[in-house]
This record gives sequence, C-alpha cells and structure tokens, in this order.
Amino acid sequence: MPIEAVADALVEVRDLTTLLSGKAVFDGLSLDIPRGKVTAVMGPSGTGKTTLLKHITGQMRPDRGTLRVDGQNVPTLGREALYALRERIGYLFQNSALLTDYDVFENVAFPLRQHARLPEVLLRNIVLTKLQAVGLRGAARLMPSELSGGMARRVALARAIVFDPMLILYDEPFVGLDPIALNQVLKLIRTLNRTLGITSILVAHEFAAVRQVADLVHLIANGRCVASGTPEQLARGESDWTRQFFGGEADGPVPFQYPAGDYATALGFTGAAA
Amino acid sequence: MSADMKTRAPRGGMLVDGLAQVGDCGLFLLNMLGAIPRSLRHLREISRQIWFVGAMSLVIIMISGLFVGMVLALQLYYTLSIFGGTAALGTVVALSLYRELGPVITALLFAGRAGTAMTAEIGLMRATDQLAAMEMMAVDPIAFVATPRFLAGVIAMPLLANVFSLLGLLGAHLVGVTWLGVDNGTFWSNMTSNVDVWKDIVNGTWKALAFGVVVSLIAVFQGYTAPPTSEGVAYATTRTVVFASIVVLALDFVMTAFLM
Amino acid sequence: MNPRRSFAAGTGLFILLGFAALAYLATQTSSVANFSSGPTYDVVAQFDNVGSLKDRAPVKVAGVRVGSVKSIQLDNQSMEAKVTLAIDTRYNDIPDDSFAKIMTSGLLGDQFVALSPGGSPDVLKNGSRIINTQSAMQLEDLIGKFLVGGSSPAKASSAGAAGGKSGG
Ligand SMILES: Nc1ncnc2c1ncn2[C@@H]1O[C@H](COP(=O)(O)OP(=O)(O)OP(=O)(O)O)[C@@H](O)[C@H]1O
Ligand SMILES: [Mg+2]
Repeated sequence: MPIEAVADALVEVRDLTTLLSGKAVFDGLSLDIPRGKVTAVMGPSGTGKTTLLKHITGQMRPDRGTLRVDGQNVPTLGREALYALRERIGYLFQNSALLTDYDVFENVAFPLRQHARLPEVLLRNIVLTKLQAVGLRGAARLMPSELSGGMARRVALARAIVFDPMLILYDEPFVGLDPIALNQVLKLIRTLNRTLGITSILVAHEFAAVRQVADLVHLIANGRCVASGTPEQLARGESDWTRQFFGGEADGPVPFQYPAGDYATALGFTGAAA
Repeated sequence: MSADMKTRAPRGGMLVDGLAQVGDCGLFLLNMLGAIPRSLRHLREISRQIWFVGAMSLVIIMISGLFVGMVLALQLYYTLSIFGGTAALGTVVALSLYRELGPVITALLFAGRAGTAMTAEIGLMRATDQLAAMEMMAVDPIAFVATPRFLAGVIAMPLLANVFSLLGLLGAHLVGVTWLGVDNGTFWSNMTSNVDVWKDIVNGTWKALAFGVVVSLIAVFQGYTAPPTSEGVAYATTRTVVFASIVVLALDFVMTAFLM
Repeated sequence: MNPRRSFAAGTGLFILLGFAALAYLATQTSSVANFSSGPTYDVVAQFDNVGSLKDRAPVKVAGVRVGSVKSIQLDNQSMEAKVTLAIDTRYNDIPDDSFAKIMTSGLLGDQFVALSPGGSPDVLKNGSRIINTQSAMQLEDLIGKFLVGGSSPAKASSAGAAGGKSGG
C-alpha cells in the first residue's frame, strides 16, 4: 500500500524493522501521524501496536529504520534528549500502570511534581480539573488498589494529559469502560484534540468508537501498514485487509493464528487420519 | 539502559552465571551512585523510604536487641563467674554488642524485614509497568526508585544497629544488675574504662554502614532484575535473604580481621 | 491531613532517635564518660614502672574518682615514668604528702592511680609533685621474687621514688 506523505507529520515512521525473539514484529513499517489530528492505529492482536508506541517513546529501539518525532530521530537520541522529548508526550498504558504507593491525586500530580515547581494551590487546581474531566474528582484520595479497572484507566488518562502534552498516545483507552464512561473518554479525547490541538495516537479495537473521533486510521498487519484512510474509507472495505478485519473473519490475508506448525500434527493425528 | 538489566541471557555454568551476576550487581551499584545527584532532587522520596525501611524496622530491632542483651548477660555472667570476673559483665556485654552482635544481627534482621520488602516492591513495580510508566513520564526509575531505597537503607542501618546495641545494653543491665545482682557502679565503671569510642563504637558503626550498603544493594538489585512474574518476584525475595545473609557474615569476618 | 508531612516528621524522629542512641553509647558507656568536664589542676608523680596504666585512667581517693591521668612520659634524667594527673579543682584539699599507688581494679580490671592522703597541712596545687609513690605490681616480678626466695614481696615493691632504679 503506497503511503502518501503527509505535509505536516508530527511522527514519521520509515522502514521500521524490529525483531523480537527472532520474530519480525515490524518488517519495513512506514506511516505518518499528522500534526493536530487524531490518528487511530488498528490491527489484530499481537501485530505490534503497543510495540509501535514504545518505539515512538524510545522505550524500545528498532533494528533498522528511522522514526522522527517532531523532527528528532528517536532511536538515536541520548538520555537527556529522550527525557526532554518524553516530557512532551503523554502515554496511557494498556494496563494503567498507576503507582501503587500513591493515591489517585498524587498519581495525577506525579508528572507535575517531578517536572514543574508549581505552587501547591495551582497544582491542586490542575489535578482536580483533570480528575473532574474523567469524572473521578471524588476519588482523589482513594488508593489504586481501591479502584476498579475502568476507574484506574481513567485515572491513568488524567495522568497522561496533566501536562497538556503535544502528543498523547492512548493504548486501548476504551477497554473496561461502561458506555457512559466510554462516551466521556471519547469526548475528552476529542476536546483535547480540538481545543488544545493535541495530536493523538489512538490504539483501539472498537471501530465504532474509533469512528467517532479518529481523523485517520492506519491498519497494520504482518509488520506493515496495510491500509490507511479516514474511518469511512476503511469501513467501505475496499481491500481484502479491511474487509477481513472489519468483517471479523478468521480467514483472509490477516492470520488469526499465531504462526504455528500444522494443527492436525500438533493434535497427534497423522495426515491421512485427519 | 533498563532493558539490558532486566533480561539476563542464560549463560554457561553456575560459576560463570554467578560471576556475571556479581558483575551486573557492580554495574548496577555504579548506576545508582551515578544517579545520586539526580535522586537528591527527590529528597521527599528518600525521607519516605527512610520511614519505611528504618522506622518501620524499629520495633523488631528493639525487641530483638532487648532479648539478645538479656540472654547475653545470662550466658556471660555464667562464664565470667567461673573466673570470678563478673565485675567485667558490663564490659563484655558492651564490647560484644558494639563490635559484633549489634551490626550483624541488625543486618540480618534488616535483610529479612526491609530487604525483602524492597525486593518485592520493586519487582512488582516492574511487573505492573510502573517503572516503564515512570520512564514515560521522564522520571528515571534508577534515580527515583532504586537510589532512594538504597540510600535509605544505608542511612538507616547504622542508626538501627545503635538502637539495637542500646536496647541490648538495657536488657543486659536488667538481667545482670537487677536480677543477678552485679553491682550497678561496677557494671558501669568497668565498662566505661574499657570501651573505646573509636575502636569499639565508631568501628562498629562503620561495620553497620558497610552492611547497610551490601544488604540494600542486594535487595534493590534483586528487585530491579526480577523477572516480571509472581514466581520471579518470589524467587528474587528469597535470594535477597540468602545472599544478603551470606555476604554480611563473610564481610563481617573480613572487616573484623582487617579493621578492628 | 497531610500524609507527606507526617512521613517527614516520622523520618526526622527516627533519625533523631538513631543519633541519640549513638550519642548515648559514645558518651555514657565508653571512656568518654570518664572525662571530667570541669576545671582541673595538674600534679606530677614519678613511678619506677607504670605497668599498663593508660592515659585517662581514673585517679581515686578512697575509691572515689577525683580526676584522671593526663599524660605518661619518660623522664630522661631519672629514667622513670613521669605521670601527670589532672585532678578536679573541687578536690583542692588533698595533702601534699599523699601517697600515689598504681592499683588494679579487680582481677581483670584496668589499672588506676589511688591516692592515700597523708597528714601534711599543705595541700596539692597546680604543678605540685607527689614524692611518695608505689609502682604497679608486676605479677612476673612477684613470682620471680617468690621463687628466688628473696625479700618479701611487700618490701620489694615498696621502694619509693628514692629507691628507684638502684637495682637495675
Ligand atoms: N519483550 C518481548 N519479547 C519478545 N517478543 C515480544 C516482546 N514484546 C512483545 N513481543 C511480541 O511482539 C508482538 C507484538 O506485541 P504487542 O504487545 O505490540 O501487540 P499489540 O498489537 O499491542 O497487541 P494487543 O492488541 O493484544 O495489545 C507480539 O507477537 C509479541 O509476542
Ligand atoms: Mg497492545
């Protein structure tokens, strides 16, 4: 699938190749994340969506290829530069990753306390505003262990946006949310993007939700970007990839099975008997 | 930087493996020492850790100190009375506590009480992505998690050892003077004329400090490199106690032989 | 309700307690406790042999501590040990003909200087000299003398400053 270069790309991935335990997770992946837009990255489980986000933030380094964020080639950055870049990126972890030592308020306040010397009153106001935005202002003094999965996710979201970063990476923000909370989170993502112009990368499986916020969708499979376009374009299912993925079929170009040997052999049948 | 620490490739024999661990541990120590200037910005975190590591160990240290002192007085009174030297009870108890039992028993208890907690906590932080989250928030987990705990352990150990010795002395006084009837004046004056501040008390404190360094290093290292699974954290916790105890006892011999 | 505060306070208390323990051990249970803090005056006494007397060993009158040994030096002329005693100014009524004797506390204890008061109307002052002294008892000497069957141990060791080094 050809990539039409976006004029103003905040994140620019070119020929990314990464081997993990001998398996090629990315095999020449190229894609662009336009500035000021919400871009969804979709793809079957285990194709490396989380891994891609980790590359963007420099938590993992590729074996080959370049990855520019705001003009800086992330894999070649030193510690200081990398940390400076990360201060401008919000990251919502797939499993929330709240600091269990601190209560909800302190978790959200954590990035502020670490990087900004703010007066306590101002800090309190910022944190409470963010908590209000995710509907958890009343839970400020609960400990992470006292939260449900969906609540923890919303706290993690509040923490990711507390710094009003230039780029936010959401790794599956909708998992475990009830319809009301899901709508709130959707609205939040949209608001952050529309009012503050924050570029967002959204990894999610819920196409219905993605449709409501995403300006652009990249579908990755087999280590490459197999389809890109607006949600409407992809939903029309013009290629085999999109038809299979959005149709939810097990057979097609996207393998549902993790690469394995012959099924019948593994179950102990000889070829003839099966 | 953290990636090469958390996964150790399986290597050849057990000896090579062990040596590699020691090497990794040494590198880790250098990393932590290098991060000290940055962790000094997290003074509040260091103070919080001193609370968890030190203050929360006080009760066990005090109770153990009291009983060790009491039993020491009983045993030494018996031995000294064979030579008619019960006047030296205070001296012998004080010297055993300051030079040997205070630092060593405190270090062993500290490894069991605080060391395991550090290992398990850091191991679980790794397993639940909290360390990765910190890296994402541009906070270096070595400077924010590892070094503060290490420093807290190093600071707390000598203080705990002195509290242990003090309570031990109290216990010995209780048994020796109040119960067995050694003269109070003799108990103290014999002690004060034979205990030297530098040779006995300060050197004992140095010992405790050194034990604080090795126990905290082992505990933090084991936690930081524990495989991110329940089993991995459980094994790491066990290893902390085993390694820390052995290293403390071996180091005790070396330090006693060459320094005291 | 500020949890950060209470941590800091608790930590401070803990550190304080630790240092208090160290300070107590160092000042109350070691030889530091023997330093007399008040003003003292110096008195010199010469001994044939000080045995294992050490600096800061106590000086006692009738078993009560009145001062400590300040320094022990060899007097180049007489080849005797010159011991300077620092005595508390509180005890300024010690007769100048008092008798200084190096004794051992118990069988295993350390050595100290015992002063037995004489009857002179004059008292020891700063710079005074104690004439009558008795050296440390040397177990080896006692045994040697006993085996040779010479003079009685008490007499042999009662040689004062005058009797000094004549034998050797
Ligand atoms: N540390 C690792 N070592 C080896 N292989 C890894 C490692 N981390 C991830 N992988 C592999 O990389 C692939 C991509 O993993 P990743 O977590 O990025 O998937 P994902 O697209 O986020 O999936 P999901 O939608 O289920 O979250 C998987 O096949 C996984 O087995
Ligand atoms: Mg994922």
